[in-house]
Amino acid sequence: MMSDRLMADWDERESRLDELFRAYAEACPAPEASANFMPGIWAGIEARETSRNVFGRMAKALVTAALAASAILTLLVSMNSDRGFSGTFVQALTADNISQLEPFHLDRISEMEQQ
Amino acid sequence: MLVDFELIQNAQRGDAAAFNQIVSAYRRRILGTISRLIGRPEDVEDVAQEVFIRLFYSLEQLRTAEVFEPWLYRLTVNASYDYLRKNRRRQESRMADLSEQQVMMADAAAGSRAQSDDFERRRVRDTVADLLSSVSEEDRILLTLKEVEGLSLKELERIYHVNENALKVRLFRARQRVLKNMKEVTGSPAKTAPTGEAE
Repeated sequence: MMSDRLMADWDERESRLDELFRAYAEACPAPEASANFMPGIWAGIEARETSRNVFGRMAKALVTAALAASAILTLLVSMNSDRGFSGTFVQALTADNISQLEPFHLDRISEMEQQ
Repeated sequence: MLVDFELIQNAQRGDAAAFNQIVSAYRRRILGTISRLIGRPEDVEDVAQEVFIRLFYSLEQLRTAEVFEPWLYRLTVNASYDYLRKNRRRQESRMADLSEQQVMMADAAAGSRAQSDDFERRRVRDTVADLLSSVSEEDRILLTLKEVEGLSLKELERIYHVNENALKVRLFRARQRVLKNMKEVTGSPAKTAPTGEAE
């Protein structure tokens, strides 16, 4: 009984909502565009073109600056590497004083264990 | 479709006259849709201009004639959504800034407007706007496209790129929320919503 009433009420609300939506469609008719409508669109497009161009020029300047910086850095790195050792890794190891180090003997560990 | 695909192709190649023709063909339809989506006649033209500017910049991406209209609808929906989101923020800050005297003046202005001819239309628009405030901007737009614009689920599917079942569920939930909100807004008798999906 109670649930029937609830359902009836809900149905009533549903139909009221549908009516309200229909009335809303009539209350919001398509307005006539003003004489400024089309010029307004083109003005908007031109404004965006201008800002795009400014942004594009800034981006180009940034890319140029980045390229110049990377060229300078490359030059600096290559100048520094000329002063350093130019050979293979093995040659570098050989040239180092590693041969002066005492080799590691396994038998010494066994000697330690015997003690 | 209101224009030939050839005209769209000409506009894609940068023909301004062709673009103007497309705007002229769809202007009325887009203005009507935006009017119902945002419910504010004073801002409809601005949003419609934004739609056509977006169309101008994205026209080159279009490959087939069939997708043109759903896609134009999508641009309209997105621009309306952006407007509603921005407007909600603006309205909140505006109300926060008003002094008591300003609020009284605004009430008086509303009273005199109430005597004007378009009072009934305004009342309907305000009622629906209040009802739809219980759902998100996305759901508001979806509900308006379905219930007010009368688009079919198939058409909505093409606009939203979402399957029909997902749309049905979303629409059902949005409608339920609006129905629950109806009591407070329109003063209908307070009852609890019956449970269970209607569709």
